[in-house]
Parts: sequence; structure tokens; C-alpha cells
Amino acid sequence: MSGTSRCRTISVAPDAVRLAEIRRFVEETAVEAALDEEKIFDLKVAVSEACANAVEHSGGEHAPLEICAFVYSDRIVFEVSDSGDFRVPAAQLRSGRDNRGLGLPLMAALMDEVCISKTPRGGTKVALSLLL
Amino acid sequence: MLVSTERLDGLPLVIVSGEIDHGSSGTLQTELDPVLDEGATIILLDLSDVTYIDSGGISVLLSAVRRLRNEGWLAAVNPNANVRRLFEIVGLKADQGFRLFDDREAAAAAVQKLTEQ
Repeated sequence: MSGTSRCRTISVAPDAVRLAEIRRFVEETAVEAALDEEKIFDLKVAVSEACANAVEHSGGEHAPLEICAFVYSDRIVFEVSDSGDFRVPAAQLRSGRDNRGLGLPLMAALMDEVCISKTPRGGTKVALSLLL
Repeated sequence: MLVSTERLDGLPLVIVSGEIDHGSSGTLQTELDPVLDEGATIILLDLSDVTYIDSGGISVLLSAVRRLRNEGWLAAVNPNANVRRLFEIVGLKADQGFRLFDDREAAAAAVQKLTEQ
């Protein structure tokens, strides 16, 4: 990574109805970074998938999701942090017939890099990078 | 997201507009279920005005495709380039229970051809 990063952050309650709001944030950031329409769409999907996964595994907890955007000279990175564990639904691991769990493969297909890590507070952070 | 169901040449035509995501996909499922339950083998799904879809929406389409696959197909009409690209990534485009058409007329013509055989 090179260049100075400009960081933008939003904090949103872990609820699927808030995903549209998160996508507006992604769009605004990506438009400002002069990304083309295809890359903006891909980022919206990848960030939504990461957030939907966090919402699904928030286990009824109300700790907000935090989304941080970093714009470097060569890439844009969105970090989605929550307070729960990242899980691939068990049913999907057992059977390829289940539709659940499409989120992670989609993130991997659309992004240049996907990194999932534990946060110091026991939550999960998904970092999604796209080269400019 | 807005969704409604009409008929075109006797076929169910489900028209969706807006964003199909994890928050709204349940509404699409609720619209498709009675159409599937009444025994439709081909469903036209007009996606011309769909600006966004993610795995929430794709899961609903995959469920419908699975139910239709043996006897018919789900016909996606005029999805935009980004939506088409996702259909390709998830393997929907290659599924025998799924077809893509540029407009409603092309979809209806393909069905007409099928019934003439």
C-alpha cells in the first residue's frame, strides 16, 4: 500500500434493513475516489455481504457495526468490524444445496483481497481491498 | 424494492424494481412462493429496474430455480450488466433451470416456441 490514507467511518445498528444506508456510504466514498461503476457495484456487494454476515451472527446483540473506509493511492479498503464471531452457516458446510453462505465466495470473487481477523475485543473484522 | 405480479401470454410475470438485498429479499420470496405453489413451470422475472442484488436476492432466485429446474425455468428479463455478472459468478447463468432474455417479448417468444414443439 502506498500514499496517504483518508479515513471515513460510519457506525450502524446490526440490522439488515440498515444495509442500504451502508451501501450509500460505500457509494459516496467510492465516487469520491473516482472509481468506475463496475467497481462501485462490486464494493457495495462485498461490503453488504460482510455486514449481512455480521448482522446474522450478532446473536441479538445490539453492538453497532463499524465500517471504516481507507483510500490509498493504489487501492480502496473497507473494514467491517463487529462484536461477534464470523461463522459459515453449519448447514452450508454439510450440504452444497443450501443457498446460505454465498456471501464469502462472492466477497472473494469480487475483491482483490479479503482478510478476516479477530479484533482485540473478541469481535471479527473483515477487510475488503480493491485495487484502483 | 418494489415487486408486483402480472400475466404475459398466460405466464406469470414478476416485476421487480430497486435493490434486492438481505433486508428485502423476503418480500420477493413471498411474491414468488404462491406462483410456484400454483404449479407454474415457467416464470418471467423482469429485472430491468433492479439496480442492485446480493446473495440475499440470489438465494431467493436459486430456490425458485431449484423448484422449476425439472420441468421449466426461471426467465430473468433484462438485468443490468452488473447483475448479469453476479449471475455468472454464482453459476446461475449456467443452470438449466435459468434463462436470460433481453426483453419480455424475447422471453415470451421462447416459451411460445417451446409449446409448439
